[in-house]
Amino acid sequence: MTNFSSLASAAGLSGTQYKLRYEQSSCRLELTGLPDVTAADAEGQPMQRLNILTGWDLNLGQKASLQGKREHLQALVSAVQPYVRLLVSAQPRQQSGGSDAVVSLEPQENGRHLLRLRSSQPDTPPLELVLDNADLADLNHCIDQMLMDSRCALGLEVHRPEPLRRGQYRRSSIRRQGQWIAPAAAVASVVIVGVVVSLLPLPQRAPEPAPNATTTEQSEP
Amino acid sequence: MEAPNKQVTAQGLSWHHLSHCPRPLTASAATPPISRLPRRGMERLDLLLLAIEALDLHGSEAMVWSCEQLQLQEAFPDRVALWKSRCRNPLRRASRRGDLNSAEQRGLVELVCSLADRLYPMLRQLLSSSEPAELSAQRWGLFRDRYNDLVEARMNGRRGAIRQLLDPADGEALRQELILTLAFCCGPGGVQRLEASLLDGSR
Repeated sequence: MTNFSSLASAAGLSGTQYKLRYEQSSCRLELTGLPDVTAADAEGQPMQRLNILTGWDLNLGQKASLQGKREHLQALVSAVQPYVRLLVSAQPRQQSGGSDAVVSLEPQENGRHLLRLRSSQPDTPPLELVLDNADLADLNHCIDQMLMDSRCALGLEVHRPEPLRRGQYRRSSIRRQGQWIAPAAAVASVVIVGVVVSLLPLPQRAPEPAPNATTTEQSEP
Repeated sequence: MEAPNKQVTAQGLSWHHLSHCPRPLTASAATPPISRLPRRGMERLDLLLLAIEALDLHGSEAMVWSCEQLQLQEAFPDRVALWKSRCRNPLRRASRRGDLNSAEQRGLVELVCSLADRLYPMLRQLLSSSEPAELSAQRWGLFRDRYNDLVEARMNGRRGAIRQLLDPADGEALRQELILTLAFCCGPGGVQRLEASLLDGSR
C-alpha cells in the first residue's frame, strides 16, 4: 500500500512544508502548503512545488491581516483579477455575484475600492476594507506573482482577460464627445444650402422678338 | 474566511523570496495571436508611452534600452523604427497611415508594461492616498506640466481628443486614468490585461 507519507519519506521530503511569500509595499501574501510527492519531473525527481495549500495569510499593511483556506484564496483571486481588468479600461464596476459573493470589490468615490469579505462562520458580519488605488495595485501585484510563479501549483481557476464588448464598454478615456459635430455640421450646411437654393425663384427669360416680323417691316415700303 | 488577525505566525519553514527571482513579464507563448488594434487602442498605447516619458526624463532612452532587454529588435531594430511605429497614432502631428503589424503591436504592449513595472514605485506614490496631500499635488503638477508639454509638442492640437487632454478641467481625469492604467498593467499579468483593454469595443 502506498501512501503520501511513505512516498515523502522515500523522497526525503518527510515533514517538509513549503511557504511562498509575495510582497509589495503595503501587501504581503504568504502561502503555506505541501508538495505533491507523487508528482515527478521527467527525471523522476519529486517536483519542488507547492501543490496542497494548508493555509494562506494576506497582510494588507496596517489595515488587516486575513487568513483562509483554498476556496477563500480562489474567491479572492476571482474577485480581484476581473475587477482590475476593468480598472485598466477605466470602467470599474462590481462583478457578477455582486455583494453576495464570498469576496467582492466595488468602486467607491475618490479612487477607493470597497473589499468585502464574507465569513463562512454563522452570525459573523462581513469584513469591509477600503483600499485606495495603490493598495489595490499592490494586492493585484502579489496575486499576479503568485499566479505566474512556477513553484505554486495550486491550479487556481483564472480567466484570461477579454476585451469588453461594445455594449459593456462605456467610452470615457479620450472621450469622443463632439466627434460627430464637424461632420454633422457639414451635412446640415449642405442640406440648408440646398433647401435655400431650391426656394429661390428661377429668373424668367424675357420673350425674344420674332426675327420674321422685323424683316417684314423693313421690306414693306 | 477567518476574522482579521494581526499576528503573523512564524514557523521554522522553508522561505522563498520572489523579489530576487526573475519574473516572467511577457505573456506566455501559448497566448492566441493578437487582434488588429483599433484606432482608439493605438491612440491609447501612444499616450501611455507619452505618460512614461513624462514620468521619466530619460524615458525615450529607456524605451530603446528596454527593447533590447525584451529582445524586440525584430520589431524595433532601432529608435527610428520605434518612432515610426508610434507615429501610427492618428492623433500625432506627423501621423503615418496604416496599421501596426502584430510584432510591432505586441512589442509596444510589452514595452509599456515593462516600463510601467520599472516606474511602479513612482506610479504608486502618485496613486497613494497616504502620501501628504501637498506633496502629492506637487507630483501631479509636475507630471501634468511635463505631459502637457509633450502632448503640445507632438500631437495635433486641432484634434478634439488632444484639446480635451490639454483642457484644465477634463485633462486631469484623463491623466489619472493613464496613470491608473499603467499601475495596473505592470506586473506579470499586465501584458494580457493591457492587450485586452486596448481591444475594447472592437467586438
